[in-house]
Amino acid sequence: MNIPKQPLNQRIFKYSLTSLIVVSAIWSASGLEITLDRILNAPAQIATLVGAMFPLDLSSEAFDRIIPKVFESLFIAWAGTVIGAIFSFPISFLAANNITIGSVNRVIKQILNGIRAFPELILAFVFLPITGLGPLTGTLAVGIHSIGTLGKLSSEVIEGIDEGPLESIKASGGSKINELTFGVIPQVMPTITSYWLYRFEINLRASAVLGVVGAGGVGQELINQLRFRDFPRAGTVLICTIVLVLTADTISAAIRNRIIKGKTVKS
Amino acid sequence: MINYPKKPSPSLLVLIGIPAGILFSVFSFLQIGFNFQDFKNNLSNRYLVTDPLFNPKWAWAWENSSDALVETIQIAILASIIGCAVALPLSFYASRATNLNKYSYFVYKSFLNLVRTIPDLFWAMIFTVAVGIGPFAGVLALLMFSLAIMGKLLSETIDSIDPGPMEAAKATGASHNQSVFTSALPQVLPNFTAYFLYIFELCIRASVILGLVGAGGVGRIIETQRIFLRFDRISPIIVLILVVVILIEQFSVWLRRKIL
Repeated sequence: MNIPKQPLNQRIFKYSLTSLIVVSAIWSASGLEITLDRILNAPAQIATLVGAMFPLDLSSEAFDRIIPKVFESLFIAWAGTVIGAIFSFPISFLAANNITIGSVNRVIKQILNGIRAFPELILAFVFLPITGLGPLTGTLAVGIHSIGTLGKLSSEVIEGIDEGPLESIKASGGSKINELTFGVIPQVMPTITSYWLYRFEINLRASAVLGVVGAGGVGQELINQLRFRDFPRAGTVLICTIVLVLTADTISAAIRNRIIKGKTVKS
Repeated sequence: MINYPKKPSPSLLVLIGIPAGILFSVFSFLQIGFNFQDFKNNLSNRYLVTDPLFNPKWAWAWENSSDALVETIQIAILASIIGCAVALPLSFYASRATNLNKYSYFVYKSFLNLVRTIPDLFWAMIFTVAVGIGPFAGVLALLMFSLAIMGKLLSETIDSIDPGPMEAAKATGASHNQSVFTSALPQVLPNFTAYFLYIFELCIRASVILGLVGAGGVGRIIETQRIFLRFDRISPIIVLILVVVILIEQFSVWLRRKIL
């Protein structure tokens, strides 16, 4: 039987890609001095650590310390998302090439790209000397990073709208403002709201981490307990974080589903 | 008189949900505590940050951080390759289209969800304690990170594959595993490659901060200089990282266009 072969240049591309991956993996592994016995020992070491976490520290003293921190992370994430949403919403109109005037959108897009390039953690420790140790720093870091990401996502949504409603508003004598409020916003609002919620889910993980540099939240608690080798309490911190993130994810995903897909009609 | 159609009244969910959201936002801002007086006083500290931040010490940064920067890239490469390789079979088990056993489907799906809830830096902290400070912990942490993202993206892609080729393979007498291997896998392979490049970019970005908890890479240098508020040494490192990240993203965009 004659099975057709892949064209030669495609095969060359495939093999060179595979060898690139293999070579870079070997280069990395040798550069990081990752030897076989370290890899083989790792599962046992991790099992030891996880074993040391159980039984969890369920004393009321532990919960009194951990629960406020967990909620602090939640507040940071939510407030940061609100900051991001409020500021990114008007900016995204200016950044969309079908709404804005002239070439303002290129400038704004570059600014948004610049903001997005800095991880929250780096923003956090730059703000730290000004805003102090505490949740305010974390909120600002999360909020500013969110302006960058939400601005980009929202402006892309606005660029993808149907122009028809805008034309009909123009035809019936509507002003530019009317076009925005009756033509653009009703079209983009569901998607943008769901992006806000999606960003909240991401921000929750980010704000949990921010405590590492002292910007508030549960990360501080985890790193302290791990440093003092109080593994049962570190385990409690982990479990509390997982519960919070899972709950928030589930609620937020349900709302996003409802916004995007609409009410499910029972037949 | 024209009879306008009546606007449907908003549902109960919206009536309760929007005020609740606003209340929760106000409550969060109160909990965070913004004190304008303190803020104004501390604003005089800004020279502590801004002066050195805009007077970068390029020579120092180049001399001391280039090795760590290479280490960062190596961590990201290794972690994304291993993580995605592990995620490939797992996501076939975590998809309803290819896993017929609903109990094992549930187990794999919840495992991936659980891994996804723990933030990357938490994994790094756990692994630095478990296997010791250094890049190996960073590789393991990012491995879990990429495993979780790839597992989610790929298993959802597998959920939505065209069932036709699998049925055709079964009609010619293939077993379930054979039909998955010959019909489901080739369908998602282009997506897998695209996701892999995307995850590689994410890993490069994430590996920068791993060093803050001792998991290797350029973050290690940032952490030591951060403690001494040497922002003049940090800012060139950040710029270097940005350049590397942008170069790698350009490369990955080029590669993605070539593949798809």
